[in-house]
Amino acid sequence: MSVAGAAVIWIALLGPVIALLTHLQGSAIASSLTAPGALDPLVTSVEAGVVTLAVLLLVCTPLAWMLARGRLPFPRVWEAGVLCALLLPPLVVGLLLIFLVGPYTPVGELLGHLHLSATNTFLALVIAEVYESAPYYVLGAQAAFAGVDPRLEQQAGLLGDRPRRVFRRVTMPLAAPGLAMSLAIAWARAMGAFGAVIIIAYHPFGIPLQIFTTLQATGLASALPFALVLLVVALPLPLAAYTWSARAGRRRRG
Amino acid sequence: MLDADVEVDRREFTVRAALTVAPGERLALFGPSGAGKTTVLEAIAGLVPLRRGHVTLHGRVLTSTTPARALPPWQRRVGLLRQDPGLFPHMSVRDNLGYAPTADRHGAELEELAAMLGIGGLLPAMPARLSGGQQHRVALGRLLLAHCDALLLDEPYSGLDTALRRSLTELVVRLTGDRQVPAILVAHELPDAQAFAGRLAVLDAGAVLQTGTPHEVVLRPASRRVAELVGYLGFVPVNGPGAAAADRIGGTGVVAGVHPDRVIAGEHPGRGVVLAGTMTGCRPSGAGWEADLRVGESEESAIVCRLADRPEAAGGRLAVTALDPPCFGPDGTALASRAPGMTTGMGRA
Repeated sequence: MSVAGAAVIWIALLGPVIALLTHLQGSAIASSLTAPGALDPLVTSVEAGVVTLAVLLLVCTPLAWMLARGRLPFPRVWEAGVLCALLLPPLVVGLLLIFLVGPYTPVGELLGHLHLSATNTFLALVIAEVYESAPYYVLGAQAAFAGVDPRLEQQAGLLGDRPRRVFRRVTMPLAAPGLAMSLAIAWARAMGAFGAVIIIAYHPFGIPLQIFTTLQATGLASALPFALVLLVVALPLPLAAYTWSARAGRRRRG
Repeated sequence: MLDADVEVDRREFTVRAALTVAPGERLALFGPSGAGKTTVLEAIAGLVPLRRGHVTLHGRVLTSTTPARALPPWQRRVGLLRQDPGLFPHMSVRDNLGYAPTADRHGAELEELAAMLGIGGLLPAMPARLSGGQQHRVALGRLLLAHCDALLLDEPYSGLDTALRRSLTELVVRLTGDRQVPAILVAHELPDAQAFAGRLAVLDAGAVLQTGTPHEVVLRPASRRVAELVGYLGFVPVNGPGAAAADRIGGTGVVAGVHPDRVIAGEHPGRGVVLAGTMTGCRPSGAGWEADLRVGESEESAIVCRLADRPEAAGGRLAVTALDPPCFGPDGTALASRAPGMTTGMGRA
């Protein structure tokens, strides 16, 4: 394939971004973003995204490590489970989450006792975002851990390091670039989560719902500025992860 | 003193080995690929579970099955060097050298050791920048700075060229002597084992067949299998006094093992077994010549001999003398009786 062919495909993939940038009008941006409370959804999205990432890091990192190191019986079954979560359309996930955490379920009742609710709350938004982004993070993190040569961990152990220390000094630094990339992808998924969110967390508004409701209420032109906001918020982390992992690779090559 | 008596189950067979290595002593575990050599090292290092046995190091019990206890690898103070140096790619040479929790990354010992290993100028470099030999030096230095009580070497230098391999081996020999640590080298090439070790243990299909000085094992293999492993390429039926001795032991079928390097040209009955037959091939080998000689009808009677001068085989016939060859009975065990003056070959029976 020639460079020209590659360029055509690349531009086609970038098409939506280009369209967004060319169709934005300065006046529309100003009027949309300066309306009272216009940026509240941004704050909500970022807060929910940060909590989502923290949950993924704490809960899914150990799972990914166990998957990568074959510490689980019937590993294919576990992997198939993660893939199932990845393959379910977010909208369907949202519908099914009602049966899991809705008000009339055991989990919902338990939350009720704690004066919490997993419908149309910040908690619901986080749950929806976790479900939409976790499979991407688990699969990516698994690949990152699998790329660490177990013999290096073995050698570190023979040199006198306990497993916990080996994990901190060898496994984590070597898997970090891959982990950062998967976390960045999970962040982008969480920021853009819509399907599950619209079912169980219509309120509080995040940016995707803001775009949707603005589109319905006042049309495309006033919805586009929020798309720009989403892009601006979702993109820096993946870009930072990418440049950082490239730097780490260069440093290792000496 | 490293004392290991281990039994480890593998898919094909059970590996059994009982070895003791004194401080400063170097033992080579020699055998073909898949004989279980690495398994023995991994059992000592605590990387595979024992079915039965024990490992003690300077009186410390590392593993025992009765009573059942096993120290985890990080408490054993056993260093393992493999063919892949296994340097941590995200750490500089200095950080690799000083990796062990007990090592001082900025101490004088690190600097001195690095200078002695010839890597003093590379301390800030990343491992990816180093040559294979330099990486192995760093890996060795890292083990020494961890102050391991025993050194296990799993064919560490088999990927390197001969000169580099020799210099690294000499370095390990000197350092193990200086530090008085027991060392075990696994090798599947005999010269590597001989260059390193004071004692050789031959391992085949999970069993130690013979232990002795490298020279003794090569000159007096305990069985025909050992002889095959240490490089004997021909086994010729012998007649004369040797055969008579075999008769007394209970059967014919006595063979003399012929090592290609233990053959001289010409007939010297006083020094061994004279082999005469048809030369079927001849080619340069190293600084000398390698000749194929057929001394009988059977398949086994084809022998290979390496000679200093190009053999002159008049009419295709060649006579050589195998120096003091070991003899083996029909069951493959070595016969005690030597057979100087025996002759074998076509037209000499």
